[in-house]
Amino acid sequence: MSEKMLTEPCQAKIVKIKDEAPETKTFTIKYVDEALQKALHFTPGKFFMLSIFGYGEIPISISSSPLKTDSVELTIVDVGNATHALHPMKEGDIVGLRGPFGNGFPIQKFRNKDIVFVSGGCGMAPLRPAVKAIVGKRSEYKKLTLFYGCKRSDQMLFKEDLKEWSGVENFNTLFTVDEGTPDWKGEVGVVTKLFGKADLKPENSIAMIVGPPVMIHFAIIELKKIGFKEGQIYASLERLMHCGMGKCAHCNVAGTYVCTDGPVFSGAELAKLPLEEK
Amino acid sequence: MIQEKFVLKKENLHAFLEALSKDMEVFVPCHNENGATTFLPYNGQEIYTAAQTFYSPKQALNKPSEKEFFFGKKSSSVEVERVKQNGGKMIFGIRPCDTHAVKAFDKLYLEYGEVDPFYREKRDSTLLAALVCTEPCSNGFCHSMGTQEPTGHDLLMVEKADSFYIEAASSKGEELIKKHRGLLNITKFQKPELNFECKKKLDTRNLKEILDKGFFSKVWEEEGKRDLNCTSCTQVCPSCYCFLTLDKFILNTENSERFREWDSCHLQRFTKVAGNHIFRKSRESRLRQFVMHKLSYFQKNNDMMLCIGCGRCISVCPVGIDLTEIAAKIRSEFE
Repeated sequence: MSEKMLTEPCQAKIVKIKDEAPETKTFTIKYVDEALQKALHFTPGKFFMLSIFGYGEIPISISSSPLKTDSVELTIVDVGNATHALHPMKEGDIVGLRGPFGNGFPIQKFRNKDIVFVSGGCGMAPLRPAVKAIVGKRSEYKKLTLFYGCKRSDQMLFKEDLKEWSGVENFNTLFTVDEGTPDWKGEVGVVTKLFGKADLKPENSIAMIVGPPVMIHFAIIELKKIGFKEGQIYASLERLMHCGMGKCAHCNVAGTYVCTDGPVFSGAELAKLPLEEK
Repeated sequence: MIQEKFVLKKENLHAFLEALSKDMEVFVPCHNENGATTFLPYNGQEIYTAAQTFYSPKQALNKPSEKEFFFGKKSSSVEVERVKQNGGKMIFGIRPCDTHAVKAFDKLYLEYGEVDPFYREKRDSTLLAALVCTEPCSNGFCHSMGTQEPTGHDLLMVEKADSFYIEAASSKGEELIKKHRGLLNITKFQKPELNFECKKKLDTRNLKEILDKGFFSKVWEEEGKRDLNCTSCTQVCPSCYCFLTLDKFILNTENSERFREWDSCHLQRFTKVAGNHIFRKSRESRLRQFVMHKLSYFQKNNDMMLCIGCGRCISVCPVGIDLTEIAAKIRSEFE
């Protein structure tokens, strides 16, 4: 990416808005400058610094497939000042993009392996590009399993994708919610409760985890119990970056920068990081 | 190369600073309106060289709040304009230890990973006129940190009773001397050897490894209890650089500006993410972040310690927290 793409908020147009879940929308965005759009490529798990001009700049993970880069999708919950200003915006409105930043999931290295996706809540957004990239090159990977947990069923993101993925060959999708509602017929409980319901074979598997800190913590513990080694586990961490380039130090975790060293870390790296600093 | 050695007589100091100020903004050590010593643009005020300044000269390079972008809303686009930085700056009388803080900024912003064009623009046009120290300051430990000699400076100065010895340390410094030759006098004086010892010491042998091992030491809890999280240390520190970005509207919601502002790892909100999750909730965790960033973490990407041994954080701390003592305690526990 050019210096301009990384260091200046570049104008980008909202071309499509989709209601994803309560207070959650997916914005499809294109650079105004076509040359920048052409220059864009990314690995799953990378993030943008998104400018809502006048309201602020926030790190937002890319939620669309890396195999399709003529636009990018950002799935965003209305939770802070910038996202609250973004939500009422309309198609045609202009935002700013800086990036993409971060290392992403090294899915090339995961070829010919069983893949286990573990996701909680809006953590499905940063994981979706990895799922899409792997499903898009289905023959290169072995058995796929997705564990997805949400607070309530209406908060599940990408419902059409979830339906589509459940029909993909040798792709086992399992869901759970924290609070059962009358319309929910599936599992109730934390996402790790699902692990025993899938026939996981840790020997040739890779697990990718995206979710809240407490979910990552317990998912790693449970995967290790099943037999996963640290090197077979990858998780993406969340911090509120202000620069994305290892300068502002907001995402510094014991000397490691989530923006440049991460946000994706292997289990071996995670074991060395104090994720919650007492 | 200029062969002669020069002195700037003190009676010519103001004429010299005025002459420099015609070409650049000259930050000088002086008193601010509250009586605290700091670095401010020269406007004829009295120059303070008696001791280390209370505030560091970092605001000459990174102001507490500075405008980085202007965003102008048009009907179907947003004009994004990088705010031009004032060209031509000098930090006059910067102490040797503080020049190492500038070096740390240079490593972080210009050498590690992506270059930061905002800093680059400011730094490219900034000259350093270093004033060496001839006696120890109250809490400094530059001898321990190896920062007693200046680095990356353009001019080198030594204060004498009635004059400043002055020599060029870069080609830009040489140009300055040539340009203002008329205000300088030739001298036979030689730069003296610096032979004072700091009162404070910090044993840096294997310090990173020892501190990393001591991450869960009880020392953090003990010291953290006293910590007021007042952020005074991060404000006076010459090498504290953590910043946040903040957008502000100009009167209406059409045009806005983006600012870079000093932030402090001592504040709870420093690690707050969406949903109000805070990763460093306790005082001890935030004190540890400050000390470890200075003495351990920065080395990972930038190959030098961020602490340059000026001791300002020790002088300013209202409860007497001293990072050299913390480091010594952890050393005695984990070495």
